[in-house]
Amino acid sequence: MNTIDRDALRDFYDDYYNTLDDVRLEEWPGFFTDDCIYRVIPRENFEAGYTLSTIYAESRGMLVDRVMGLTRTQMYAPRYYRRFPGPLRIVGREGDGVRARHNLLVVQTLIDKQSEIVLSAVCHDLVVPDDGRMRLRERIVVFDSEMISNSLIYPA
Amino acid sequence: MNKISRTWPSDAAGRVPYWVYSDPDVYAAELERIWYGPHWLYCALEAEIPEVGDFKTTTLGERPVIVVRSGPDEISVVENRCAHRGVKFCQARKGHVKDLLCPYHQWNYSLRGDLQGAPFRRGVRGQGGMPSDFDPKNHGLRKLRVEVVNGLVWATFSDATPTFREYLGERFWQHYTRVYDGRKLAVLGYNRQHIPGNWKLMQENIKDPYHASLLHVFFVTFGLFRADQKSATEIDATGRHGILISRKGDQETNDVTAGMRNFKSDIRLADPRIMDVVREFPGEDTVGMITVFPSVVLQQQINSLTTRQIVPTGPDGFDFHWTHWCYADDTPEMRLRRTRQANLFGPAGFVSADDGEIIEMSQQGFSHAPDEDALVMMGGREIESVDHMVTEVGIRGMYRYWREAMGL
Repeated sequence: MNTIDRDALRDFYDDYYNTLDDVRLEEWPGFFTDDCIYRVIPRENFEAGYTLSTIYAESRGMLVDRVMGLTRTQMYAPRYYRRFPGPLRIVGREGDGVRARHNLLVVQTLIDKQSEIVLSAVCHDLVVPDDGRMRLRERIVVFDSEMISNSLIYPA
Repeated sequence: MNKISRTWPSDAAGRVPYWVYSDPDVYAAELERIWYGPHWLYCALEAEIPEVGDFKTTTLGERPVIVVRSGPDEISVVENRCAHRGVKFCQARKGHVKDLLCPYHQWNYSLRGDLQGAPFRRGVRGQGGMPSDFDPKNHGLRKLRVEVVNGLVWATFSDATPTFREYLGERFWQHYTRVYDGRKLAVLGYNRQHIPGNWKLMQENIKDPYHASLLHVFFVTFGLFRADQKSATEIDATGRHGILISRKGDQETNDVTAGMRNFKSDIRLADPRIMDVVREFPGEDTVGMITVFPSVVLQQQINSLTTRQIVPTGPDGFDFHWTHWCYADDTPEMRLRRTRQANLFGPAGFVSADDGEIIEMSQQGFSHAPDEDALVMMGGREIESVDHMVTEVGIRGMYRYWREAMGL
């Protein structure tokens, strides 16, 4: 895989969001490189240059640990998350990798409750060829919706 | 003020009636007697407003305020409500200004909140204007009393509040200055969440070490807070403030953990850097969770330091503002360590997300049973500090003080 074109990138994101919406969490870290950076960060932190994040990982292992936390240690009310990515914008190329941006709305639904927005965000991603497939080396999900409706449980 | 027609249960120390969490008259009285009464309320880190003219907005009780550096060595806290027509005139979260200006009729205040100008005060071409008895001195913004104490800004609406140090009491002054020791602080970042539960449940949560050892599988499994570790649960002389103290243990099977269904000996972290803990405070304790009544939790848990501000929004909800901080002279490695450890805390925290969830579930459970009671008799009915965590003494202490403050 030499250059990542727009079609390939769209297929990659379709696959990524289907995996999360289907709650196949064990497959999720596989979308990232070993040395990835992953942050879900409030807009105010991002704009101030802070790296303090609501969810923070600097390796695929930390994403594996997130999944372990979600499936084995955390306690939360059952819910569904559904992710609605907006149009994809390629903002630059770095070597074989592509810097891309898109808006993201994450909607959660709890039992007997109306659906609500849990994140309104823009994703700053770097997608690179890695071991015969595409992976995220960086994914910074910057959310405007800073007052989170109680908990942020599943990843974006 | 509405009269409260509620009676405390006869088992005064061992029970808390559920109406304290849902009765709108009780909530209204809490705003007056507690939030706007003789109590110090957390406002900000001093480091958030370093230059004269820097401000941030926040909310104390339900009242919006502006926290502003009004002089090189002076911080003012004023109500964010124009003295003319009541506009919440400052809408930015933070910024830098020369003066405070209401956009409606351009009333203008100094950084200390004194009225400096009201346009057309003397009329236009002899017409209109304010009456001759209008004196700008009487129409400033409402000013709060302020104390800046080792990097944190505190304010109170009441003239009856004692000094901050007296408010804490000597024992809790020692706890406070263990972490807030006079070194300069710096902001690492923020987290904010709305928790749909009564504000006191957050105070209770951090006064209740019993749950921490059971609900939080992450804590239990990795030995960050567990009933077999050397611990203490202390309250101040009034009962309103509390601290949970503990020492980190190991992921080991012993007589206590063997009986815990939530202890998971097989869990291993794929990337253990999140648990790269260093000792940085005097003594062996690795956790000091202070609840300063009524407005804030001061967290020192391993190397993660936060202030967690409680802003009530009604009987059944509160906003929770987390400020993650570090010392200004921390090395980049230490900042990174604190940033990693923040994964345990906040609205997506391995540990803290459990608390937001359980508070929401608590409110759901009892909001329609105001005449039933919660039991808070773990560890007995005594109200004094103990050297273990199998106790609900912190909650008993808070309600003893709460009843006194509320006259109930």
